[in-house]
Amino acid sequence: MISESLPFRRVRILLIVMTAAVLAMVVQLIRVQFGTYAPVFAMWVEAAQDTEDEVSPDRGLIYDRDGDLLATNVPMYYLEIEVFQLTPASRKQIAAVLSQALILPYEDLYRQLTIDWGSVGQYRIRLTREVAGEDRWPITVDQVAADMLRAFLLDPEAPDLSGLKLVPAPKREYPASYLAGHVMGFVNQEGKGYFGVEGFYDDWLAGKPVTIERGYIPLEARLEPDPPAGVNLVLTIDLDIQQMLEEILREAIENASAESGQILVMDPRTGEILGLAIQPGLNPNNYEPWLEERGVTTAELMELEGDQDEAVINPAVGGQFEPGSTFKVLTMAAALDAGVVEPDTEFIDTGQIEVGGVRIRNWNGGAWGPQTMEGCMEHSLNVCLAWLSSEKLGASTFYEYLAAFGIGRGTGIDVAGEVAGQLRTPRHPEWTEADLGTNAFGQGVSVTPVQLLASVGAVANDGIMMQPHIVRAVVGPEGAYWPKPTVLGRPISKETADELNEMLAESIAGETHLASVNGYRLAGKTGTAQIPTEKGYDERWTIASFIGWGPVYDPQFIVLVRIDKPESSPWGSVVAAPVFRDVVERLVTMLEIPPDHIYEQLVAEESEQS
Amino acid sequence: MIGRQKQASKKGSWRKSLRITSRSVLLMVSLLLVGGLYLAVNARLARLGREVLDLQIEKAELERQTAELQSRLAELTMPDRMIERARELGYRPAEMGDIQYVVVEGYVDPEPFVAPEPPDSSVEYAGSLSPAYTETLGDWIARVARPIGEGAR
Repeated sequence: MISESLPFRRVRILLIVMTAAVLAMVVQLIRVQFGTYAPVFAMWVEAAQDTEDEVSPDRGLIYDRDGDLLATNVPMYYLEIEVFQLTPASRKQIAAVLSQALILPYEDLYRQLTIDWGSVGQYRIRLTREVAGEDRWPITVDQVAADMLRAFLLDPEAPDLSGLKLVPAPKREYPASYLAGHVMGFVNQEGKGYFGVEGFYDDWLAGKPVTIERGYIPLEARLEPDPPAGVNLVLTIDLDIQQMLEEILREAIENASAESGQILVMDPRTGEILGLAIQPGLNPNNYEPWLEERGVTTAELMELEGDQDEAVINPAVGGQFEPGSTFKVLTMAAALDAGVVEPDTEFIDTGQIEVGGVRIRNWNGGAWGPQTMEGCMEHSLNVCLAWLSSEKLGASTFYEYLAAFGIGRGTGIDVAGEVAGQLRTPRHPEWTEADLGTNAFGQGVSVTPVQLLASVGAVANDGIMMQPHIVRAVVGPEGAYWPKPTVLGRPISKETADELNEMLAESIAGETHLASVNGYRLAGKTGTAQIPTEKGYDERWTIASFIGWGPVYDPQFIVLVRIDKPESSPWGSVVAAPVFRDVVERLVTMLEIPPDHIYEQLVAEESEQS
Repeated sequence: MIGRQKQASKKGSWRKSLRITSRSVLLMVSLLLVGGLYLAVNARLARLGREVLDLQIEKAELERQTAELQSRLAELTMPDRMIERARELGYRPAEMGDIQYVVVEGYVDPEPFVAPEPPDSSVEYAGSLSPAYTETLGDWIARVARPIGEGAR
C-alpha cells in the first residue's frame, strides 16, 4: 500500500478549501445577479445615474419669551415594505399586527402586501390607509408604536414581520396643544406652515433645502455636509400670561353664554404681544377637525393661495368688526390733539344730532344735558362724539387722524393673514356725510382686534404708535437677531395722550367701575358694537368689548377684551369690563407691577437710597 | 558523447520549463497578492462605509430620541400641568395682596432668554439602504432555510 506523501495531502486540502471558496463566490455572484434582490440592484443601477437628491433641513423650533418650547419636531415613522423580503407568513402577520396596533382594516393591509409590486417595478412600497373623501394617506406611527414594532423585528419568538421597515420622518408637535394654538398656526404633512407664526415665518423656519449626492452603495458612502436647519424663534408671548388669558376667556364665554371671544395683551411701549387668547381654540397638533368645521379640506388647504381664508382661522388679525364705542377713544384723541376742544369743553346733549341726513341718538336714546368731554367719554355719548367729528373736526381732519392711527391699513404684525379693515373716506365713491357722524362712535368702520390695540396703544404710550409683533428674537447659525420695536407713527402729542389718559381713568373710576382694580389707576373704554348684516344691523346680537391699559402713570400693558354675541347682556360694560378687571388683577402680579401707592413709596425709598 | 549531449539537452529543457513554471507561479502569486490587497482595501472601505452609515443612523436616532424627550418634558412643564400639580400640593395662584414689594439694591433684571442655535440637520440614509446591500450570504442561507425549518417543525 502506497501512502500519500504529506505535501500531496496538504495540496489536496488546499485545493478543497480554494474550491469551496470559489464555489461560495460563484454562488454569491449568481445570487446577486439572478437572486431575489437582482431587480433591486438593477433598479439602483438605473437610479444611480441621477443620485442627486433634495434634502429639507429640520424645521426651526419655537419658544415663548421664557424658553418654554412651543413647537418642536418629533419623530414619526412611515411603514415601508421591502417587497422581496416578504414571506407568506410575514404578509399575514404584518397585516395582523398593524391592524390590531393601529386599528386599521386587516383586509386593506393584506391586500397591499399581496400585490405583485415587482411586476410594476416597485421593490419598496409605503403602506397607506384610506381617508374618507380623499386620496389614500401614508400610514404613520409614533415613537411608542415604532419601538414596539422594532422589538418585534428583533425578537425571533415574536410574529414574523420580515420585510417591514420603519422609515423616520420629522413631525411637527406643539407641546402646549390648544394654548396659543392660533398664534402658532400649524404645519401640514408636507411640512408647509399655515397661519399664525408658522405661516408668516414659513420660509425662515423651513430653512433652505440642499441638494446632496446620495451614496446608496456602502462603498461610496460619503460624509455629506449636513444642511443647516431652519431658524429658531423666540416669541414675545409669555406662556403663563397666555394660560391665564385662555382660562379667563373660557370662563367669560361660558358665563355670558357667548359664541366666541378674544383677549389680547400688548406692551404699548414696545408693541410686544404678551398674550393672545382666542376661543374657540385651535389645537395645531390636530388641525384637521378645525378645518373640517370651517368647510376646508386638507386638499383645499394646499390650494390656498396667499392669505385667503385667513379670516376664518385667526380672528385676532383677520376678523374685522365694527368696534363701536371703543373707537370713541380715537375720535376724542383727534379732537383734543387738533385743539378743537379741551377736556372741560362743554357740550349740551339734546339726545340727538343730524349728520348727513341721518339722525344719531345715544345708546339709551336719552338726552344727557350739559356734559364736559370727560362726561361724554364716561357716559359714552354717541351724539357728543358725532358732534366732534362733524362740527368740530370736519371730514378732512377727522379722516387724517384716523389714517394716522392706521385705520384702514394693516399693522404689519408678523402673524399670517392680517387684513386691513375697512374705512370709507370722502374719496371713496360710497362715502356719505352720514359716515362722518357714525364713524365717530365706531359704526360703519371695521377694524381688526390687533389694529384697534395698536391704534389705542398710542394713547397709552405718550402718543407713539408701536407696531404689534410676536417674534422677539430670531436665532440662526450666525447667532441671535433681536428685531427692534418699530414705531408706526405719532398720531397725537404726548400732552393729548396724557389728557385722554386722565379722562379715561376718571371714566373707569366712575361709570365703568366694573373694570377697576383696587390699588391701580387704569384707563379704558367700553364698547358695545352692533353687528352689520345684509339687511342692516342685527337686532339681537352685539359684540361686547373693553379696551384698557395701566398703570396710568406708566402704562405697561394694554388689554383688549372682545366677547361675541353674549346672551347674558349685550353691553360691553357688563360683559367685557369685568373680564378686563379679572385679567388685570392677575396681570399685575405676573408682571410684578406694584399698586400705585406702593410704587410711590418705592420710588421715594429708591431716591432716598441714591 | 552523443548520450551526454542528449542528457544535457534534456536537463536544459527541464530547467527551462521549471523556470517558466516558477515565473508563471510567481506572476500568479503576485497577481493574487495584488488582487488580495485590492480586495482587502475595498472590503475595508465597504466596511467603513457601512460603519459611517450605521453611525449616521445612530446619530439621527439619538437626535430623534432627544427631540422626543424634550417634547415630553415641555408637555409636562406646560402651565396647565404645573398649576394642576401645584394645586394638588396645596398651592394657589398668588393674589395682589399676597405680594410684598421691596427695593433690592443692585438688583438687575434677568437676561432675556436666547434660544439655542439650530444644529445642522442630519442627512440620513436609513430609509434608503436596501437589505439587498446588507444581506450577507449567511443571512440569505438563514432566510432561505427558515421556512424549511418551520415546515419541519
